[in-house]
Amino acid sequence: MAAELKLSHTAALILRAIHAGDGYGFSVMEMTGLPSGTVYPAMRRLERDGLIRSQWERQSIADTEQRPPRKYYKLTRPGQATLEASERRYPLLAKLTAVEVDQS
Amino acid sequence: MRIHLAILRTAACLVPGEQRAEWLAEWRAELWYLRQRGDRQITVFCLGSFRDALWLRRNSPPDTQPWLHLETPAQCIGFLCVAAAVCVLFALRYHPPDCPMVPIGPPLLFMLWMAVTSLPALLATTSLRMGEYPANRYGWRWVFFLSKIGLVLSIVFCGGLALWPIIGPMVGNCMLIGCVIALRWALIDQRQRCPECLRLLGHPARIGHHSHTFLDSCGTEFVCPKGHGLLYVPETSTISFRRTQRWQHLDRSWSGLFS
Repeated sequence: MAAELKLSHTAALILRAIHAGDGYGFSVMEMTGLPSGTVYPAMRRLERDGLIRSQWERQSIADTEQRPPRKYYKLTRPGQATLEASERRYPLLAKLTAVEVDQS
Repeated sequence: MRIHLAILRTAACLVPGEQRAEWLAEWRAELWYLRQRGDRQITVFCLGSFRDALWLRRNSPPDTQPWLHLETPAQCIGFLCVAAAVCVLFALRYHPPDCPMVPIGPPLLFMLWMAVTSLPALLATTSLRMGEYPANRYGWRWVFFLSKIGLVLSIVFCGGLALWPIIGPMVGNCMLIGCVIALRWALIDQRQRCPECLRLLGHPARIGHHSHTFLDSCGTEFVCPKGHGLLYVPETSTISFRRTQRWQHLDRSWSGLFS
């Protein structure tokens, strides 16, 4: 990647939540406190920009536990670099999601 | 509850067809987990799906195969000629001889007046820029464009006359709206065609990042199915890169890729 993307605070927060949390949409909502109408479009944007990638859980695992498979999001290598840059830009970001993780 | 599934299914109608099933599966899975937790905010959660669906609709490349795919110029002009002929026949059959909604006598003059009055609305709904193309080439595309304009105006004018007995005095407003829609279609269709063979371009590919619009490129690239060139359509007009769509001609050395 030629240059790291400069993310908005909200996008950086979502990126951080994906990195720190379980990596599915609702866990990001819980960690950030943002509504679904903000979180999901932001995740699509991050995925389109190559900062995260999505992967469906294997059907066999979900079938064993009798539940529908979930779609999980993970940071890509450029995503991790962007997150590090965002944490330098927004120093409170790391603390904010750390508190959320501790509380949950 | 059924209402939540109904909300998701309604929102799914906004999602482009090829992504709809996966999109719905993701939201349905999340909904299942929320129900298991007994969450009270399920309705609010489901309503958020509309924003997500709208985002996907806005940010997906246009469908490569729309319901009416007039790929070649012959297909396009042929379809418009048939539609215009049908409208003329209906207009001759049904419109009253002393139709008071035509303020200017000759039909040709009235069509020109209609086109001029619809210009402000047209400007508000689409750009009039046709893009950057090599100068003094592709004269046929302007003949094709003017033919399309003439035919769509005839369709609107004769269609309006044919509908006069049904919609009465509202026909003037309907013709104006029809004129804006028809001219808008003609402009958009023209911008999506190869300037050499006049075929509709295909295979849209996204280029660049949305967060790089100022100093870098971000847009969609289309390819001529016959390999005449590439059309770059910028996402937004920026001062640093490209303001309008630009045609890149490919010489014969590229022909092996398209044969």
